[in-house]
Amino acid sequence: MRTASHLTLLLVRRGSDTSRASLALPVVAFAVVTALALTVLGGARFFFTIEGDLAAFYQSLAALAVTLLVIPLLTLCGSAARLSARRRDQHLSTLRLLGAPTHTLTWMTVLESTLLAAAGTVVGVLGHLALAPLLGLLVFHGERLGAGNILLGAAGTVLCAVALLALAAISSLLGLRGVTVSPLGVRTRQDVPRMSLVRLVAIGAALGAGLFAGQALQIDQGVVATVAGMVFTFGLTMAVLNLVGPWLLGVVARVQVRRATGRHAAERLLAARTVLDSPKAAWRQVSGVALTSFIAVFAGVGLAVTDAMAGSGASSQEDALLLADLRTGIALTLLISFVTVAASVAVNQAADILDRRELFASLERMGMPLLGMDRARRRAVLSPLRLVSLGSALAAATLIFPLAGIALLTNPLALVTTALLLAAGIALVWLTLLATSPLLARVARES
Amino acid sequence: MNTSVLQAQSVTKTYGPTVALAGVSLQIAASEAVAVMGASGSGKTTLLHCLAGIIAPDAGAITLHAPQGALRIDTLGPEGRARVRRQHYGFVFQQGLLLPELTAVENVALPLLLDGVERRAAEAEATHWLHTLGLAGMEGRRPGQLSGGQQQRVAVARAQVGAPGVVFADEPTGALDSRTSAQVMQALLQTTTGAGRSLVVVTHDEQVAAVCHRVLHLSDGRIVREQHNTPRPTQVAS
Repeated sequence: MRTASHLTLLLVRRGSDTSRASLALPVVAFAVVTALALTVLGGARFFFTIEGDLAAFYQSLAALAVTLLVIPLLTLCGSAARLSARRRDQHLSTLRLLGAPTHTLTWMTVLESTLLAAAGTVVGVLGHLALAPLLGLLVFHGERLGAGNILLGAAGTVLCAVALLALAAISSLLGLRGVTVSPLGVRTRQDVPRMSLVRLVAIGAALGAGLFAGQALQIDQGVVATVAGMVFTFGLTMAVLNLVGPWLLGVVARVQVRRATGRHAAERLLAARTVLDSPKAAWRQVSGVALTSFIAVFAGVGLAVTDAMAGSGASSQEDALLLADLRTGIALTLLISFVTVAASVAVNQAADILDRRELFASLERMGMPLLGMDRARRRAVLSPLRLVSLGSALAAATLIFPLAGIALLTNPLALVTTALLLAAGIALVWLTLLATSPLLARVARES
Repeated sequence: MNTSVLQAQSVTKTYGPTVALAGVSLQIAASEAVAVMGASGSGKTTLLHCLAGIIAPDAGAITLHAPQGALRIDTLGPEGRARVRRQHYGFVFQQGLLLPELTAVENVALPLLLDGVERRAAEAEATHWLHTLGLAGMEGRRPGQLSGGQQQRVAVARAQVGAPGVVFADEPTGALDSRTSAQVMQALLQTTTGAGRSLVVVTHDEQVAAVCHRVLHLSDGRIVREQHNTPRPTQVAS
């Protein structure tokens, strides 16, 4: 174990420039996960400290927002773990060639993942501290939240950090179960255990932990049951979406492959083939937006109708404050959801460029215009993202068609705001993709 | 075989204190296959990169005699050199370096698609080349579903699809066993010199060099020996 620890530290310290860049990616990903997770949990915790008639209602909404954001955050965490696993392939097979036993490889894998996650977590905590004053300016219930109400506190921060580190270690162990390390390389096993059971157990465990935490914190059992019910419902919806989503992306990509003709045929074909190559991977990257968009339209329509009704008659100040808070909550949830997706996209794209640097360099040598390759790469992310976000929004609008119609007629501004928020989210992901373009150019020219 | 398609005159290239090429001069004739050999660090890959316009030399002249007229590659900027590579050259690398998401026919058609050729026409041309290289029926397979030799033949087809005047191959058989290597080399020669094109191969493999018309031996950035062969393509097909 000591030898493995020394080796791991040596390999992390003595990397080439490219491998250092590769090491930086999981660190950045874990930093984003930590900063957002701490901020989301800190904000949600605040709502569990308020009192009054609407306390239970606010707590339910906070729990709902956390549930919605857990999916994209876990996706990003998974991306980071997979990313650090990919970095190790060459080291592991070389060590296996030199006769390293399995437990040494396992310990090295867990240690390296955890070290990278720890570095990211430290940066993430600093990010959380930096974000708190900014988010503290948000107004809830007629008053500014204040930075103190966003901060999770020392105990909560340590707990959250430890949980993320444990997740990194478990992810890397699970990742090792899925591969066979041979002296000639690391290859994926064909008999990878199905994840559906693991997911089911994880959902059950999360529900159990929620109920236990509710009892331990002596929160009203009615609220706990409501929240548990909501988490279960959304978990179930997410499970259904996870089944349908990849299939739908695959069907659409197949049509796009057939229709890839004309001036931009190469990039359209390449983008569609990239999605078709692994619809699950394409879905994983954007799935967090699916439920958020669905809820955003649902809530947006609800708010628009309530707003219109309040406008036509007398409404209390309490109702007005509640509506304003709901609007802020929806905008914030959408924003964090899209920021998480954007971070996940940035990390995955940067990793993909670094992994395929030889291929991109060869294409550049052949004189192929990299702009086309770059456009194809962006299209492969944006096409599923547009489909998922707009598809979910349309599905929600169809489900509550009469109400959506009324909202459109009576309070179009509220719906336009929701649409603008979705468009801004897509634009954010597009900007993130653009930000990785210089890396592609550099890798293609320098490799 | 006397018409020169590519000419290098006193080409020099240095990387910091290291002299990679020290005044290399050579000519490549039409329909000629030239092998470049030498120890690691002798400058053979740098020579290929300069001739192909991947990098610009520090001094000297590189002239491509294209059908449209003579073109000084060393004076062109990065965009101009990229255009020359796309329009006049073909490339085959050690690892086929195909796009794993695309099928064989799509990989071969990609250079044409990127050049704005209509998809149906591009794929028809790509299919023709796959058939020529003995890959009929494998058009719809992806690189992962092909053997190493088949992947390399797809890469050869991709290098030919734009009808280049010169094909550059950097250790094209380096990752293959001797039998597959012979088959790929035969395919490469058939589709280049056999069709009036020139071939420049960087290789460590004596068997590969033996089937080329000429072998240039490099050492310390200089051509130290030039050997003329009478290539017998049948010997590599065994």
